[in-house]
Amino acid sequence: MSRRRKHKSAEEVELNLAAMLDMAFQLLTFFILTFRPAPVEGQVNLRLPPPMAIAGSGTQKAGADFNMKEPPKAATTLVVSVFSNKDGSVAQLAVDETPIGNLRALDDKLQTVFANTEYDQVIVQVGQELRYEELMRVIEVCTRQRLRDGSKLSKLSFVEMPAGG
Amino acid sequence: MSELEGGEGKPNLTPILDMVFQLITFFMLVINFKSASLDLSLRLPVVGSARPVDTKGQESLLILNIDKEGKINVYGRPMPVKEYIQREATAALIAAQRSQPELKFGDELPTTVVIRADRSTPFKLLNGVIQECQLNGFRKFALKAMNKEEGKG
Repeated sequence: MSRRRKHKSAEEVELNLAAMLDMAFQLLTFFILTFRPAPVEGQVNLRLPPPMAIAGSGTQKAGADFNMKEPPKAATTLVVSVFSNKDGSVAQLAVDETPIGNLRALDDKLQTVFANTEYDQVIVQVGQELRYEELMRVIEVCTRQRLRDGSKLSKLSFVEMPAGG
Repeated sequence: MSELEGGEGKPNLTPILDMVFQLITFFMLVINFKSASLDLSLRLPVVGSARPVDTKGQESLLILNIDKEGKINVYGRPMPVKEYIQREATAALIAAQRSQPELKFGDELPTTVVIRADRSTPFKLLNGVIQECQLNGFRKFALKAMNKEEGKG
């Protein structure tokens, strides 16, 4: 008995690690070759409903016009216009009818406008050729604005200008 | 002497195997299959206020990669805009009806459309895609942008 036990303990089981290592290296190579870290992308969250009918210029009170007894059923709207050049850059900015020089002036104007008035919708009217990059700069300024209730502006509607806009 | 001559020089492979397994574990953990749906050839616009948002998989997303010619690329293949968005809207509606059975075609879908458009895409092409989404009931949009120019610290 004791002789048998001695024999057993002397026997060493050796695993062949080389094959396992080969397989592990193959897996490692696969992961290294397919590894492509995704870029860290940001996003601007928006609600983009289709535009509603725009109210006529100026506020019209019911009964003010005897021919039209009911007030126009339309949303009070702020229109931000972004005219584009042929190369896709911004040619001109405007808030309603007022021309705006640059994005900083647009920011100032929108702050004033939103501090005084409440709008049902904000329409961004964009030139057809305007590049997405330029549009995003305008959107960034718009989404920075705070509404009268303290919330941030996140609901916009896009409208395409006719050709040449 | 005889022991030295006859002894085989076997390297101990255990530490190297340990290290390789650790590396494999690392790569398995950081692999991101979601990025396969992103067209990384697109050059996104740079917007300082764009922030990464982690929805933790709670929100259903429809990712649209739009190149400068206004084409939608899905896993590297161009897709017809109208048909693709209609198909995705139908799928989104069916998925949403599981939790909201009263939802019908034309209602607002809970899916967020993630727009990854090339920075030089003209607005008329982008707007065509947005309008198609709106026609199919999508209202929530996320416009993707880089926080800073790639390659710049």
